[in-house]
Amino acid sequence: MVLTRSGVACFRVVSRNTLLTAWRRYSAGIDKGEETTEVKVDTNLKRSGFAKAFEKFQGLGTESEDTEQCHHSFATLLRNSKLIQLGDPEGKIVIGKIFHVLKDDLYIDFGGKFHCVCTRPQRNGNDYVRGAKVRLRLHDLELSSRFLGSSKDLTLLEADATLLGLVWSPVQESLQKKEVNT
Amino acid sequence: MSGIVRSVCIKCTEQLLKSTTVSNFSYQWTSLFSPLHRRLSAETQLITDPVEKHEGVQQPVVIDPLKHPDFFEVHKLFTVKDLFDARVHLGHKEGTLDENMKPFIFGSRLGNLVIDLDQTAFYLRQALNFIAHIAYCDGIILFVTRHRQTSQFVEKTAKECGEFAHTRYWRGGIFTNANMQFGTITRLPDLVIFLNTLNNVFEPHVAVRDSAKMLIPTVGIVDTNCNPNLITYPVPGNDDTPCAVELYCKLFKQAILKGKSKRKVMEQEE
Repeated sequence: MVLTRSGVACFRVVSRNTLLTAWRRYSAGIDKGEETTEVKVDTNLKRSGFAKAFEKFQGLGTESEDTEQCHHSFATLLRNSKLIQLGDPEGKIVIGKIFHVLKDDLYIDFGGKFHCVCTRPQRNGNDYVRGAKVRLRLHDLELSSRFLGSSKDLTLLEADATLLGLVWSPVQESLQKKEVNT
Repeated sequence: MSGIVRSVCIKCTEQLLKSTTVSNFSYQWTSLFSPLHRRLSAETQLITDPVEKHEGVQQPVVIDPLKHPDFFEVHKLFTVKDLFDARVHLGHKEGTLDENMKPFIFGSRLGNLVIDLDQTAFYLRQALNFIAHIAYCDGIILFVTRHRQTSQFVEKTAKECGEFAHTRYWRGGIFTNANMQFGTITRLPDLVIFLNTLNNVFEPHVAVRDSAKMLIPTVGIVDTNCNPNLITYPVPGNDDTPCAVELYCKLFKQAILKGKSKRKVMEQEE
């Protein structure tokens, strides 16, 4: 985030060098007289405005966040996972991604163990291509049931879901780009 | 019956692994199979402990890979978070649970089983270490799966690491009657890796039983509906989701390539 001359804050794509020079100019608390090539962050100093924002965005995506997550035990990861938050899959709405299309059958992966297979709807049928995001209503995470006479269930290796509609399609995006260009 | 075969197989493996020299190890493995074998550079001298020798005599530093707990550093190849993100912990429903998989299950959530990833991580590390050692000793590795969705990916992985794969219908005597099946003297694999231990009709793959019969150690991904008894290094985990299988293939490939590259380095040092 950079302050323009008028003082209005706006987002602008800048290179790291310009950001650093801008920080040096606008930051409070750093000795303005010193011309240093290295810019060191002093955690004791209180930052405000651009300097504070710069520090916050500088720290994003660094390794410390990843390592913290890695040290969580499996129980913690599971407890905070979407699977547990989902609860009973019956009736839940999820967003899935089409990873395979076979004529009118759409193979959709929504992040569970199995994928689900839905038929292509009549409306906007051509928008359902590989890579499209769709909305589903789940019924079951795995279609398996016990048949008479067997000691174990028989599983179909598939989930059960109803297709509700399209969220995003690469076809739509390419059409929009065409419109923008023309 | 299966218990006896498994204990024999494990004892055999343990005995062979305890042997101190690289050359002995490889010789004992190959002597179990047909006479034709890849010529191993058995001249790799085993470094003797410097303590045993007299002081003042300059001895080359020799490392015994079998004595090191993690010679190929395969423990660093993955974390529990990686397994979690690849959906390795997801199991089938309670109705398809195999009794022998109960120790590996963390619990069940509304009928859907969850595999304990801490245990999976432990077993996977053991398996990767073993795979790397086999690759280090110039062993033949065979990838086996009958899961059609992932079979092409497994074949590609095998090709990339210079090993072999069998993802088609398994004819009866491939291991037990190899000379007849192939018409010539054959060398059987030194390790069989199962990405899915069941065949298309949800029965245990014939290769699991046959590998145990032919004293070939096996590494296998066992899901909640599989029987891990006959597998030497079972790894409890999801074997149905493509992203999980891709993770396993990546790890196995890295372990094999690490073993092979270490081998090259050791040979060059001679």
